[in-house]
Amino acid sequence: MTGTDRPVTAPAPEVPILSAKGLSVRFGSRTALTGISLDVPRGRIVSVIGPSGCGKTTLLRCFNRTNELVPGAKTTGSVRLEDADLYAKDVDPVDVRRRIGMVFQRATPFPKSVFDNVAFGPRAGGFGGDLHGLVQEVLEATGLWSEVAGDLDAPATSLSAGQQQRLCIARTLAVKPGVLLMDEPTSALDPTATARIESLVDSLKEDYAIVIATHDLQQAARLSHMTAYLDRGELVEYGPTETLFTNPREPRTESYVTGRVQ
Amino acid sequence: MGIAVTWRSRVRAHFRRLGTLGTACELAASASVAVLLLVVGVLAARGWRALGWGFLANPASPDPTIAGVGPAFVATLWMGVVAGVAGVPAGVGCAVYLEEYAPPTRWTSLAKSALANLAGVPPVVYGVVGLALFVRGVGMGRSLLAGALTLAVLALPLVIAAARQAVQTVPRDLREAAYGLGATRWQVIRHHVLPAAAPGIATGSCLAVTRAVGEAAPLVVVGAVSLATFFPLRPADPLTSLPTRIFDWSVRSDPQFAALAAGAALALLAALLTMNAAAAFARARLERTAR
Repeated sequence: MTGTDRPVTAPAPEVPILSAKGLSVRFGSRTALTGISLDVPRGRIVSVIGPSGCGKTTLLRCFNRTNELVPGAKTTGSVRLEDADLYAKDVDPVDVRRRIGMVFQRATPFPKSVFDNVAFGPRAGGFGGDLHGLVQEVLEATGLWSEVAGDLDAPATSLSAGQQQRLCIARTLAVKPGVLLMDEPTSALDPTATARIESLVDSLKEDYAIVIATHDLQQAARLSHMTAYLDRGELVEYGPTETLFTNPREPRTESYVTGRVQ
Repeated sequence: MGIAVTWRSRVRAHFRRLGTLGTACELAASASVAVLLLVVGVLAARGWRALGWGFLANPASPDPTIAGVGPAFVATLWMGVVAGVAGVPAGVGCAVYLEEYAPPTRWTSLAKSALANLAGVPPVVYGVVGLALFVRGVGMGRSLLAGALTLAVLALPLVIAAARQAVQTVPRDLREAAYGLGATRWQVIRHHVLPAAAPGIATGSCLAVTRAVGEAAPLVVVGAVSLATFFPLRPADPLTSLPTRIFDWSVRSDPQFAALAAGAALALLAALLTMNAAAAFARARLERTAR
């Protein structure tokens, strides 16, 4: 149905799985993003950095069409997943969201059991296979299985903050998307929980293209192959993470990554 | 003298602790409770003797010594159930449509404000509407069903207002998380919005229905019979109700009927309190399952 049956790493990594062209977003009269063009290669982790309010979250939300849930949001330009235009008239946003999963800044477990949290996405998509096996698979992938296996019926809200965020990642993986969007997934977590999420993200890069918005520059440097620097809704610079951090093209990027106030 | 000083200093200390505004609020709260106690006290004092099994079971009668509220009581319960069954699903459906589906057009906001204003329309107006629509328009006559549907229409805007508010308080995070997993709009509503809003919807709906069945004015206009001597069971049976029974008894000159009216008012209060307690119980249960 989705990404897993496609060879994700086989072709040259330069072939983008996700590609934005001239992407602009307005909320009423406020412009949130202007003319963003950016390619996400297969099997790569791309981080999006920039000061608060620069449009990181908005950019991620454009990729799986969750922006349009906000009244007054208007998106122009194009986003392509492989060769499909995600904003074409005949495209159902529900299908887009099944192929491009999203993990939010704040863990938002549903007020249901651990099992039902993970099973919700597959059930909503009409999954007909071994649901229990699938739940176990994604809980193992996120390192939660050993912690919750004894009581899958426990309310998800009883888990710790770090566990809740891993549960949210697990339930996103259960839909089997090809691309994973993560909006500051560790900003509300302590260093130990953050480290666990980071190693999880690193282990997922084999199977998913990952776009991660973060305000933590070290996290971007540790995790990602490519980094995009956004400022006031504009894409200032986008390139290999190492280059962007050590030898940026733009003076604005340099002052941001070196922590100099503009 | 010593006692008076202690008393006065205590009042002063109390005042210092609460401040002017706090003391004013405390007085307002005490006054409200006092009014409530006064209502129950007056009713109990005047209607106490009327209460009894015979009073609850007997039909109305021109003879105050054997008159009771049996049929009126049953009719009010019957109409409460029918008004709830007819009004609550329609109201919840309308609220969900307005909050989740309706495009943000001028028509939608017009409909929203019209429905909000409808909640403030005096009940007697609904009586006129019920008379024109159900009694004469559809030809139901002055029947129990016509009365119940009139009450359902009265409750409808109240249910809509309560359900809209309950749906609005469902956090956006929860909806977006569900949409983010590829759920359709209906799946998000069915599995997340409605369960999270259920406690608020249940409480609001119950309050709306008890508000409606407590009204006498619309049923007087629709045409409640004053002397129901039979137990109403079928929808086409003549309309009667507890509030109209109270109204009927309270306008008579014989003081024995005034006592009966007070007794009937106690019975009505008890019935409505029972219904609200049931709603509170349902809410607590729903909240437990939602968590």
